[in-house]
Amino acid sequence: MKVLLVCEYREGKLLDTSYELVAFADTLGAEKVAVLVGDEAAVPQLDAPVYLADVALCGEYNPAVHKAAVLAAVEKEQPDYIVFSHSSYGWDLAPRVAVALKVGQVTEVVGIVDGDFEVGCCNAKMRRKVKPTTARAVLTLQAGAFAAVAPQAAPRVERLEVAIDGQGLTFVGYEAAEVKVVDLTKAEVIVTAGRGVGKKDNISLIADLAKAMGGELGASRPVVDAEWVEHSHQVGTTGQSVSPKLYVACGVSGAIQHLAGMKKSDFVVAINKDKDAPIGEMADVLVVADVLQFVPVLTAQLQG
Amino acid sequence: MKILVCIKQVPDMESRFKPAADGLWFDETDLAWRMNEYDEYAVEQAVQLKEQLGKEPELTVLSIGSDRVVEAIKKALAMGADRATHIQDAAAQQKDPWQIASIITAYAKDKDFDLIFTGMQSQDRGSAQVGVLVAELLGIASATTVVDFSFADGVVSVKRELEGGIKGLVSLQTPALVTCQLGLNVPRYPTLPNIMKAKKKEIEAIAVDSLLSEQAIAPTAQVYAPVRKGGGIVLEGDVGDMVQNLLGILKEKTAVVV
Amino acid sequence: MNFELSQDHKVLQDAVRDFVNNEIKPIAMQIDEDHAIPDELVRKMAEMGFLGSYLPEEYGGAGLDMLSYAIVIEEVSKACGSSGVLISAHTSLACGPIDTFGSHEQKQKWLTPLNTGEKIGCILLTEPDAGSDAGAVTTSYRKEGDEYVVNGSKIFITNGGYLGTGVLFATSDKSLRHKGISAFIVDLQSPGISILKNENKMGIRGTYTTAFALDDVRIPAENLLGEEGQGFKIAMDTLNGGRVGIAAQALGIAEGAFERSLDYSKERKQFGKAISELQAIQFKLADMYSRIETSKLMTYKAAWMKDAKLEYSMESALCKMLASEAATYVTKEAIQIHGGYGFICDYEVERMYRDAKITEIYEGTNEVQRVVISKQLLR
Repeated sequence: MKVLLVCEYREGKLLDTSYELVAFADTLGAEKVAVLVGDEAAVPQLDAPVYLADVALCGEYNPAVHKAAVLAAVEKEQPDYIVFSHSSYGWDLAPRVAVALKVGQVTEVVGIVDGDFEVGCCNAKMRRKVKPTTARAVLTLQAGAFAAVAPQAAPRVERLEVAIDGQGLTFVGYEAAEVKVVDLTKAEVIVTAGRGVGKKDNISLIADLAKAMGGELGASRPVVDAEWVEHSHQVGTTGQSVSPKLYVACGVSGAIQHLAGMKKSDFVVAINKDKDAPIGEMADVLVVADVLQFVPVLTAQLQG
Repeated sequence: MKILVCIKQVPDMESRFKPAADGLWFDETDLAWRMNEYDEYAVEQAVQLKEQLGKEPELTVLSIGSDRVVEAIKKALAMGADRATHIQDAAAQQKDPWQIASIITAYAKDKDFDLIFTGMQSQDRGSAQVGVLVAELLGIASATTVVDFSFADGVVSVKRELEGGIKGLVSLQTPALVTCQLGLNVPRYPTLPNIMKAKKKEIEAIAVDSLLSEQAIAPTAQVYAPVRKGGGIVLEGDVGDMVQNLLGILKEKTAVVV
Repeated sequence: MNFELSQDHKVLQDAVRDFVNNEIKPIAMQIDEDHAIPDELVRKMAEMGFLGSYLPEEYGGAGLDMLSYAIVIEEVSKACGSSGVLISAHTSLACGPIDTFGSHEQKQKWLTPLNTGEKIGCILLTEPDAGSDAGAVTTSYRKEGDEYVVNGSKIFITNGGYLGTGVLFATSDKSLRHKGISAFIVDLQSPGISILKNENKMGIRGTYTTAFALDDVRIPAENLLGEEGQGFKIAMDTLNGGRVGIAAQALGIAEGAFERSLDYSKERKQFGKAISELQAIQFKLADMYSRIETSKLMTYKAAWMKDAKLEYSMESALCKMLASEAATYVTKEAIQIHGGYGFICDYEVERMYRDAKITEIYEGTNEVQRVVISKQLLR
């Protein structure tokens, strides 16, 4: 079995998630080969062939050109699986590769069960097994589902020549993230408000608990979208990925994108009315209670 | 100008799910249904574009599914779409993204849509494939995960949401397709007068058989409830007792609460 | 026979529910505490078309049907009974009679700003000595040139404090009883109209309940609604429609309290298990739900009969009576299920209990409803 790892590169750097792809291939016990649109200084360190297309020519984001690079590597290596991270790069590029090859795609794989690929569905409340019927398949992997391996040996780099044709799309550049008011990545304790807090006025209850615990206030995406909390507090794929010693999720249901951002926490407490909420799966302690009743009592105890 | 918005009706994610009897999807009885949240942003953006350009663009909304999905279609019409196409398929949940994309492509291929909006993914299946597949099959440019959209002189300018709050700026020549991320805009509520007006708008019904010629290539083998990881402590009961229990556990297991 | 809502009604229900959950539910407690519905919310409800749901599109209404109207009030009242009655009193009691009895010119002039929410409407019928006995109106009018001159007082006027547009009932000669009463459209900012007070109430505290003094209020002759002496008929017809709105309000309050009770019974643990596993609580839930479902069927039926242009005074009395009694019963039991927590304000069921009571009283007490029902049975 052979797996083509489509590694990811942004603003001059190889992304660490590329090593999660390596972990996935190792789980399958498969032969590895990688492809990267990047530069020589940033190739993934693994004992395998790496096909390198020059980012200076291809551009960092240019799906038609990147697709051509991946297809060129597929042509040379004939892999069984073509694997991407389920990221803004991976979910964008994977279907383009799949349709060009006319092969099945499995999105956001969380594991392998009896040889089938397991994915979440219904906001992680259910699981689904998918079995591609095509000879090869395209996969995207959920962030963090396969723990990244350490960089290994220097690879055997082989250059790819790719025709440059954006096909109607032009990448203009990046817009930097808003200046972070709080840096959650360094916080030891994070107390996060989710949609379950109900309304903006109740955020103060969660902020008070965060203060009583000596931690920072975090927020889930819906809470930020509703402008109850400013964006720099957002935990999750599109916010900050955090690894505190204690993570307290208050009224957070636990959408996959949120879980991906907090799963590296050492100890997780979830307070939720819904015993079946997906956050419960991640929790060391699940408190089945209404956040609005439980949190003030906890805060008072801590302050007392 | 012709605009297409593709929408899906999904269960309310607050629902309790259980596997269907055949184990290939979830049980659809006793669920509340609504428009896929991502698609609401798609509809809103398309309506805003129509408002920007005046009366000229024709905005079609498309959905595949049973008669029940007409509710989602009617909502989109009440939000401001001009007309609708309902591709009738009582077994849409068994189709994989490749088949769904093939159906939409078969419908759209000779209609010369200048812009197609979809959600970036559905809340139930979450495959995040259909939009891009449709664009590739139609041979038009596409951008995913769009959180900012503008249009002028045949050029679409979008911001894609990348990881860690960074955005990627992309411009696309029409015809083009964009998949919409949460937060792109503020979807409007359908107002009562617009719900009334929507009743008079055309909903064209097409049988799925006339558009589908592809087999599934990534079929669902099984749908099941996740196995709970062991070890997690569940606290239930009186609030005061739970607080004391939790503080005890935190003192024992973590170094941060003393 | 088909008891399923149409897809159009489901789309409407879904849209109203989203609006209510985002815009009203989070501030319902505040509305009660402040004794005021924020103007911003009234504006948003107007933009949604809640203030002209079943009125003609020609005059700025949404052109929907009575069932849609009932659904709007029901959904709004699940979160906030005050907002529900604002809509009901405005639509049924002010827009309703102008739409039914007004001329094209009157509708253009008065109905359009009401339907769009530019003006909030109310009915000025009740007086200190004319409550259930509406024929006992003593506020008088006399004709002077091309004006009517009105004197008297009005009390318990829901929405009165907005000083928008009122439908006013007055008599030319109180010895004529019912036959002397006429109805007028009145701009409540006219000279001679003064607010005596806005009442402090047990429930629906977010709405104005206003007492007015009327001193030589001059109303242009063109504002006469229908014909002179037709006022009592207009009042009775108006209250028929209004009862469906009040039934929907009561139904919504009951459903709001029931939803909270059902959730709470599953969360609350006593004796080592959820209280929903105790038969005492299960029977309460069954009794509450049965009353809600009965009221809902009758409310929707009455609305459907009005839409079908059938005679529906019996059904409007039935639904108002059933739903209001369901509301007081369900909210009382909701507090009992919540125990001590139900008695404190944070859980909202105590507010619903206070909001429910008035639905047994206004727009015809339930005793009057029983008179209406039994009269029809025995005629």
